[in-house]
Amino acid sequence: MASRKPVPGERRVSKGSPRPGRSRKRASQGSGGWLLRALGAAGIAIGFAFGLGLAGWVLEIDRVVVERFEGQRFSVPSRVYSAPLIVYPGTDWQRVDLAGWLLRLGYRQQPEGGRLLPGRYEWLPGLLRVHLRAFGHPLRPEPARELEFRLASGLIDRIQDARTGATVDVVVLEPERVSAFLGEDREQRDLIKIEAVPNHLIGAIFAVEDKRFEQHHGIDLQRVVGALMANLKAGRVEQGASTLTQQLVKNFFLTPERTLSRKLREAAMALIVEARYTKRAILQAYLNEIYLGQRGSTQVHGVGEGARLYFGKGVSDLTVAESALIAAIIQSPNRISPHRRPELAVARRNLVLDLMFAQNRISARHHQAALDEPVRLAAISRENGQARYFLDALSQQLPDVYDADVLRTEGLRIYSTLDPRIQRSAARALRSGLERIEAQMPEPANPAAPLQGCLLAMRPQTGEVLALVGGRDYGASQWNRCVHARRQVGSVFKPFVYVAALEPGSGPLVTLADFLDDAPLEVETPSSPEPWRPENYDHEFRGRVSVREALERSLNVPAVRLGQRVGIARVASIAQALGVSSPLPLVPSLALGTAEVTPIEIARAYATLANGGRRPTPRMFVDVVEPGGLATENRPLQGSVPVLDPAAAYLAVSLLEGVVDRGTAVRVRAQGMRGPIAGKTGTTDDEYDLWFVGFTPELVAVVWVGFDDPAPVGLPSSRGALPIWTDFMRDVVGPRVRGRFPRPSGLEPLEIDPETGALALAGCPRRSEELFLRGTGPKATCPAKAVADQGEKPGFFSRTFRRLLGRRP
Amino acid sequence: MRVNRMGKEQLGRPGSSGVAIARALAWVGIGLGIFTYAGCSTLVVPSRSGQSLRVSEAVEQGDPARRASMGLVVQGLDADGEYRFRRAQGSYERAIQVDPTNPYAYLALARHHLDGGDFTQAANLIDQAAALFEAEGIRSPRVEVHLVGLRGWECDRSGRASEAVPLRNRAAAQAPDVWGDGYLRPEELR
Repeated sequence: MASRKPVPGERRVSKGSPRPGRSRKRASQGSGGWLLRALGAAGIAIGFAFGLGLAGWVLEIDRVVVERFEGQRFSVPSRVYSAPLIVYPGTDWQRVDLAGWLLRLGYRQQPEGGRLLPGRYEWLPGLLRVHLRAFGHPLRPEPARELEFRLASGLIDRIQDARTGATVDVVVLEPERVSAFLGEDREQRDLIKIEAVPNHLIGAIFAVEDKRFEQHHGIDLQRVVGALMANLKAGRVEQGASTLTQQLVKNFFLTPERTLSRKLREAAMALIVEARYTKRAILQAYLNEIYLGQRGSTQVHGVGEGARLYFGKGVSDLTVAESALIAAIIQSPNRISPHRRPELAVARRNLVLDLMFAQNRISARHHQAALDEPVRLAAISRENGQARYFLDALSQQLPDVYDADVLRTEGLRIYSTLDPRIQRSAARALRSGLERIEAQMPEPANPAAPLQGCLLAMRPQTGEVLALVGGRDYGASQWNRCVHARRQVGSVFKPFVYVAALEPGSGPLVTLADFLDDAPLEVETPSSPEPWRPENYDHEFRGRVSVREALERSLNVPAVRLGQRVGIARVASIAQALGVSSPLPLVPSLALGTAEVTPIEIARAYATLANGGRRPTPRMFVDVVEPGGLATENRPLQGSVPVLDPAAAYLAVSLLEGVVDRGTAVRVRAQGMRGPIAGKTGTTDDEYDLWFVGFTPELVAVVWVGFDDPAPVGLPSSRGALPIWTDFMRDVVGPRVRGRFPRPSGLEPLEIDPETGALALAGCPRRSEELFLRGTGPKATCPAKAVADQGEKPGFFSRTFRRLLGRRP
Repeated sequence: MRVNRMGKEQLGRPGSSGVAIARALAWVGIGLGIFTYAGCSTLVVPSRSGQSLRVSEAVEQGDPARRASMGLVVQGLDADGEYRFRRAQGSYERAIQVDPTNPYAYLALARHHLDGGDFTQAANLIDQAAALFEAEGIRSPRVEVHLVGLRGWECDRSGRASEAVPLRNRAAAQAPDVWGDGYLRPEELR
């Protein structure tokens, strides 16, 4: 330091001539003085450089801090919610899984005798009491209310408002959170504002993590010294001294490594953060950042998401005891997890409560009440991996502005059409069905390329996709077979041939009283010198078969013959109008389903038939809501587009009902399903692809089973895909299907002779009723001579009644 | 024919007023029979409030799902009446979720879309409602007037005035109180 003090006159000496006496002295000092000066200069230079470096380092840290704090602090994955559950008197509460809904939404059983608080329920004999939480959708909010569900014979008998006693006709229950578009870090976070955080939660965190947060400036020196002493005494690191600010800085900016340089950086950053931002802003960032455990493979960050994970409720609804538990597990969320080690969690919670009391953060009464409160955790709601296929398809349906990056970071709320109960049924039915098929396969499948399948369910009137399972295991393969896999459709395509022949635009070429020729057939094809000779699956020919029988038995030869009569281009055009968008080769074998089509296209085409010839547009989301609560994207329910004569569509439905009642899909009935059901099996050559698509008046579902690299499954569709469909449908709608297929005008039922297809008159030995487009009934009669020719003209009343009943005289 | 001839002969007879009264009564009876047979509702001149269908008339009909769905339709109409349009749309969509074959829900949603200026959506929904009313066998004149009126409204707003005029006139002629102004208010459908 002496060398840096200015020597009087030194500056001058250095400028003027040296005095003789001094020069002698300097000469005697020699090289030593020069060295000192050099060292001094070097010291100055080093000091300067160090200062410069330090300043640069601080500036750099400051830049990083500002960038992060004032930019987008958190990547919040966008969340996808299901359609709401709607219940009303007459609802089968077990079938809709009302109890499961309560658990999944984090509702908790009411303790004995207490007041029914929001988010709690109580089962009593013949009665369910629920205090519904408010549901905060910006456009369709539902208020919090206390309801009583009277239960009788497995149904909801009556719903009452518990406060007013008023009868409630219908209750819309909060949608479930289905999944989220997670980033690579797989973090889940529910951003909260500090105003929403109860004081007792903040107090609990202060008490156990940083009791002088409001006094220090980022580093708590008093605590550092205390921890140092304690650690020295113990001979190992026993205590930490990180403040909340340091913890935030560590999580925000730094790696978890334990090095001196990282500690120094952490300290500097903490000081900068404290210097630049208010305590309130720092605390809010901390509350949103802190790691609080795992939900399956995803990390739960922030007290908002933590409150949902552990208690199934919003952070503002946490009790003192629950807040203390959250504060307790911050130290080591996985080690102190209340799900895995409840005793340890409770012990630490009680420690936090004691600290809160000791620091005067809660009263003695609250302290004791919280200590006495048992821990009531929400059921662990693991993300259902199967819904990921739905999410992928949904993300493709969203407008382009919602790209993958936006979905991973912007924290949007996306309300979808998914019905979680139907989705679970679909996943369960597909999984167990594939296992069942594998058990019947002669050789075990290659584990690296297992048997695959997909199941998609759609509401035919609206096109809303209610369930979508695009494969066996999303973790193993993200290829969404329902949406992307173009596979040969086989006989599932045949109804389009029949529709093309039945619809008025073709004449119609056939009616349901007509017969087709099931005899050897040769079809010339441009691609081969040899004619194509189609065969039936059993290599038999049956001669003359009715149109109904031909489709019910899924006969190939009559279908090819009919396709030739209609014209393959016309068949393709009808299929496209119904909803098939994949390219269709205009070859004779198209009638047998040699085209490759995706399951969602097949579902849509059959939905058009179920919907009276009106084609729906697949719809997977309802609206998108920004974190601020503004609805940014709304996809209103779209009406369907008329593409086929309703009467012709109904004839197709009637044929497909026959397939289920008597034909290749009769197993549906054998498995106990009753009511209006129509459907069609499809098995491609060598049993590579198994299909079943079936529908009720309110639901269309398609099942595909096969290998990704086509290989024989070894079973026909009726034993592969159909049982999966039936399992699924029975689970969803029950064994008795509601409603009926709406019959449009433009049809007339006539009695015909099933042997000849002739109109059955009095005296005809056989008769059965058949449907016809108005004016297209058979001209021939049974017996061949009409009754009128026998001189007995029907009377006035007979003619009038026949007319009223819609029967031709 | 034989009966008529006999009647004429009898009428020509003097002092047969009792028979004439009996015959008149018989004709009245036959007339009433035919009247009833043909369906009174189509022949009776409707009262002014009965010219067109109101949703509230059907809220108690059908199975539990239909009744719940109808309740939601009514909620939607109430919300539309209070200018809470998104809320109304949500109610209609939920009504369809509960019962996708409920024609009243599509009818009310079509009205909602016309009010909101979305004519393409409305046109599809009118057709869907019509198909479902017909399939349920309840496409009565009181339903038809709304279908015709809504189509006229849709054509008018879509700039197809020549198609709109006859439709609107038809609706207005049948239900002047409701369709006289060419517009269907939520409360008029409720």
